[in-house]
Amino acid sequence: MSSLYERIGGQGAVDAAVDIFYRKVLADERISDYFDGVDMEEQINKQKGFLTMAFGGPNEYTGKSMRDGHAHLVERGLNDSHVDAVIENLGATLQELGVAAADIQEVADIANSVRDDVLSR
Amino acid sequence: MAYIVFDDDRIDIEPGQTVLSALLDQGHYIPHSCRSGICQTCLMQATDGEVPAAAQAGLKNTLVSQGYFLACCCKPETPLHVITAPDKNIRHAVNVISHDLLNAHVLRLRLERPDNFDYHPGQFLTVWKEDTVGRSYSLASVPGIDNYLELHIRRMPNGKVSNWLHDDIDVDDVLHVQAATGNCFYTPDAPEQKMILAGTGTGLSPIIGIVRDALQQQHRGEIHLVHGAMKTDDLYLHQTLQDLDQRHNQFFYHTNVLHADEDHPLYDAMSLDQKLLHIGEDLTDCRIFLCGDPNLVNSLKKTMFMAGASMKNIYADPFIAAYD
Ligand SMILES: Cc1cc2nc3c(=O)[nH]c(=O)nc-3n(C[C@H](O)[C@H](O)[C@H](O)COP(=O)(O)OP(=O)(O)OC[C@H]3O[C@@H](n4cnc5c(N)ncnc54)[C@H](O)[C@@H]3O)c2cc1C
Ligand code: HEM
Ligand code: FES
Repeated sequence: MSSLYERIGGQGAVDAAVDIFYRKVLADERISDYFDGVDMEEQINKQKGFLTMAFGGPNEYTGKSMRDGHAHLVERGLNDSHVDAVIENLGATLQELGVAAADIQEVADIANSVRDDVLSR
Repeated sequence: MAYIVFDDDRIDIEPGQTVLSALLDQGHYIPHSCRSGICQTCLMQATDGEVPAAAQAGLKNTLVSQGYFLACCCKPETPLHVITAPDKNIRHAVNVISHDLLNAHVLRLRLERPDNFDYHPGQFLTVWKEDTVGRSYSLASVPGIDNYLELHIRRMPNGKVSNWLHDDIDVDDVLHVQAATGNCFYTPDAPEQKMILAGTGTGLSPIIGIVRDALQQQHRGEIHLVHGAMKTDDLYLHQTLQDLDQRHNQFFYHTNVLHADEDHPLYDAMSLDQKLLHIGEDLTDCRIFLCGDPNLVNSLKKTMFMAGASMKNIYADPFIAAYD
């Protein structure tokens, strides 16, 4: 049986999704401030890391690194509503790319599984 | 704690501190300019120890293999022995071939092209003043067409290097330049793709180079060049670009003059970003080059991305000012 990452389309899907996802995030007033970095290229690379992880792909992130990586955002008020918004944008991106609903749910589950780490709880 | 050894001095490095800031703090003068890994004026060489990969990002393999690194991006975690980069390896002495004005503020400088000086039009080289002050200037010339290097230099109020080049340098003088770098240039992998290139001020220099390069390499898709200027007088090479537009079916020259001389035929009621979106229509598979004023370049980049351009198709060359 193929893995979630393979079903979605692997690295190719990450590349296809990243522009769409990042565009949605920047247009979403609930969360855009967190992502509006000076260096868009660098942000895009980080979002690729995020997508690879959420698609169940190979990644080196741990709960601790998710905690450390978002701690400065928690200080700026990051909470559940922002995580929901990110997951929503992720779902909309995958829908646009024609990913099956069951697979989108699995992606959301992976993102949800690190919610407490992302929010330093 | 990590440390560096320089000129027999042992200097401690705080976690996260760069080699450049540690050396400057100790009173050593190390040439530098952008402090953000772009211009390569802070190039140094490691003679012993391990250079962090981030300090060699974007360097040519030939430099990496000799231990060259960018001091402004180098945060060593283990002891590192460093020396200032020996000039002869990386700098060329070149003659000034011509020195003339393109408009009241822009100098066109043509320099002899040294043997083995490879570059892509749109990349930039470093011009050195007195060995210690280096500034980046973009290449408008094309290797297959021009046997010289062409730069366009805008006079900056109180600018150290631009005024020196305008006022004190003339034909037959010798300048010291450092190899070309940067990734804002044409590649012939999608000859049918639509291209949009926007430059403000001397941002026209890399863009003209890229356009001439693309035409030389038989690019077949539409190529739109937009020169943004405050006033009509700030435009330059207007006739040359109009002629190029006449000669090539696929090439279109546009101007975007903002300031209110409405009497003038070139006045444009659209802002530069509106103009680009207007030209672009569908940006999904469009290659975009943005050069010149950093704030404008960064905001255009976002506008074009949000309007559908893919980030991998956007090449930006912000002319960031020197911090030295
Ligand atoms: C990748 C790259 C490519 C470049 N290509 C070109 C080119 O093709 N043609 C060209 O003319 N220039 C180009 N530049 C800019 C150039 O490198 C110098 O920054 C510029 O010539 C000013 O140098 P200076 O020594 O005359 O002025 P400096 O002595 O460095 O500065 C004088 C004063 O002007 C201010 N200043 C400097 N730049 C700006 C600015 N952009 N906006 C507002 N204030 C400023 C400084 O803060 C300072 O107060 C490029 C820069 C980069 C990074
Ligand atoms: C839903 C669960 C989330 C996961 C699995 C996740 C995962 C990641 C990953 C893997 C990175 C890459 C780090 C790197 O490569 O350096 C990252 C970076 C980032 N994330 Fe998240 N993230 C989540 C939620 C959020 C939320 C809700 C926000 C803000 C609204 C957010 C904002 C950011 C930002 C701004 C970065 C870049 C870090 C920086 O520039 O400092 N993330 N995230
Ligand atoms: S690359 Fe280091 S100062 Fe510009």
